[in-house]
Amino acid sequence: MKPVITFALMTLRNLLRRRTIWGISIVILLALFAIGQIPGYGVSNEGRFILDFGLFGLEIGALLLAIGLASNIYPRDREKRTVMPIIAVPLSRGQYLMGRFIGAAIIEAAAMITGCIGLMVILLTNGHSIPADMLPATGLLLIEGWFLLAVVFFFSFWTSPPLNAPLTVLLFIVSQLSVSGFIKLFPQAPDLMRTLRLVLPHMDVFHIKDPIAHGMDIPDLYFLLATLYGLAYTAFMLSMALAVFRNRDLK
Amino acid sequence: MRLTAAVLITSVLLSITCKADYDIEEVTPSGHIGTDSHDEHEECEVCDDAEHHDHEHEADSAATVLLHEESDEHDALEMAGSDRHVHDAGERNHGTGWFFNQPWAATFIWGKMVRDIVILLVLSAAVLFMSGHRRKRH
Amino acid sequence: MEEYPLQVEELEKSFKKKLGLSSFKAVDTISFNISPGEILGFLGPNGAGKTTAIKCVLGLLKPSGGKVSLWGAHPAASEVRKRIGYVPENPDYDDLFTPLEFMTMFSSMRRMDMGRDQMLAILDRVGLAKWGDVRIRSFSKGMKQRVSLALALQSKPELMIMDEPTGGLDPAARKEFRDIILEENQRGVSVFLSSHLLSEVETICDRAVILSKGKKVIEGRLDELMRTEDHYRITYRVSDEPEELEIHAAVLQKTIDDLREKGYSILSVNPLYRSLEEVFLSATTGVGR
Repeated sequence: MKPVITFALMTLRNLLRRRTIWGISIVILLALFAIGQIPGYGVSNEGRFILDFGLFGLEIGALLLAIGLASNIYPRDREKRTVMPIIAVPLSRGQYLMGRFIGAAIIEAAAMITGCIGLMVILLTNGHSIPADMLPATGLLLIEGWFLLAVVFFFSFWTSPPLNAPLTVLLFIVSQLSVSGFIKLFPQAPDLMRTLRLVLPHMDVFHIKDPIAHGMDIPDLYFLLATLYGLAYTAFMLSMALAVFRNRDLK
Repeated sequence: MRLTAAVLITSVLLSITCKADYDIEEVTPSGHIGTDSHDEHEECEVCDDAEHHDHEHEADSAATVLLHEESDEHDALEMAGSDRHVHDAGERNHGTGWFFNQPWAATFIWGKMVRDIVILLVLSAAVLFMSGHRRKRH
Repeated sequence: MEEYPLQVEELEKSFKKKLGLSSFKAVDTISFNISPGEILGFLGPNGAGKTTAIKCVLGLLKPSGGKVSLWGAHPAASEVRKRIGYVPENPDYDDLFTPLEFMTMFSSMRRMDMGRDQMLAILDRVGLAKWGDVRIRSFSKGMKQRVSLALALQSKPELMIMDEPTGGLDPAARKEFRDIILEENQRGVSVFLSSHLLSEVETICDRAVILSKGKKVIEGRLDELMRTEDHYRITYRVSDEPEELEIHAAVLQKTIDDLREKGYSILSVNPLYRSLEEVFLSATTGVGR
């Protein structure tokens, strides 16, 4: 485990020293600030509005961060051949993947917590209370962000960065659709579409912004289940990513 | 080759075990307020006025049935959060089927989530084992 | 039975061409091994398959056939990977880090406890003592080679795998590298050295393997490879000054008899040695004696 943690910290430092992460963070904070301003222009139920759009903003932020953080890590390592001395001797491919993933996941977590605190500040400064489920809700969005990170890593082992981003966004969108909604995309082959949809993740399990914005209590058991579901799918995507990576020749 | 086999087995397992039961709209029990499709609610008896919705429903009542037929305009107002049509928190009303058809509210699919967690973990272990074994054969 | 630090048996590596309809063999059924404490030169023209073979040995490429073992174990086994030092061809490192940061991380990843002073000593040994805290971004190609050597030395390896380690270096730095390799070899380290620089191989290697078009064309001890089978040098004394004569083996005995008849004394008869360059050219292009 020590090699993985060391490499994760190295990845963390690497990502912090690059400018991309700061650019994405500024965009997320600006978006939150803008959401805090809009209710002032005549929208009623502004607390609900801020929460609803704020949590939606965090979710989109998690997606953008996952793409911004991870889509270039392995392609850059491979192009610059920095991966060779690392994989050749001190680390196995599995340790490399886990180290890179954990490093990026720590940044994703820090960004989501910062975003959540920013949203709380906006709610308070606009005179609204903070719902009790907001932290667990942010936690679920973070799990979704980690899952998306694993997806981006998976794509990065067999596609180029320009293709990685649209593929991840596409998966993000179709994973929100119900089975029947997905079949409607191509009704000529319903069985194929049904099977395809069932293999894809059900990311609607992470969506609890609606009940939170409407002040409803969410059972603790659901948070636990959704967290485990997200982590299990993340583990599955990472294992698939590793299977592809283990099969890759590093020319 | 083994990786391809692993992917195929994954797909088959998922498609067999999850056979059409994850779509809440498809599997909602009759007692759950699982739909706001107008086609299914042609028997609207109580009201047809968007301004007068004061009936209450139990938050977790399995017996709650949607009884209203609504106009598209009414739905649009509800979804947009208009203050012309405000319900108390947790109250189930017409036009809110989409809201209660989300996994957090549909308790009848939670068991399926547990099943999927187990399947995903088993598949992860299988993929890891097979890809590692394949590499070490060389 | 002796356990070889590196044993390669019938190694093959093919790459698919475009569309995957055909493939070409970059490495074609090569076998060799390295004995403990030996320096093996790995030679061949560009595209001969040297780097491909090295990457197969390190697990960076998956062999299409054959077997590679390090001390009898699979190369992916962590216990044997700890015993290797690797100096890649044209190394590049994450340029936002410094050599000392890299050494700290590598020692941690290798579960070694190494203090800053020890790391600075290694950097001093490879000529980077003053550059320990400078980001690699500003380093030249030669300095990056030195960083790789430092990282390889850091683990106190028992086998050093070096792919064109002196490619980007000036002659003085090349000599420093050679000296370090020889010092490590005296410590008992086996060295697998791929190089274009025949003079370098001639100076430090015990044995050589020469590849051409993916196949092994020659393997042997350098003195055996460089010794000709069919040419001899006779040294004889005419008066006070010794003279030399290079002749073909077929006429060796007759020439000696003739010289003796003329009253010359034969001082020595030795097989003629070729340069490694001649051996290399002869093996890879058919040019030479």
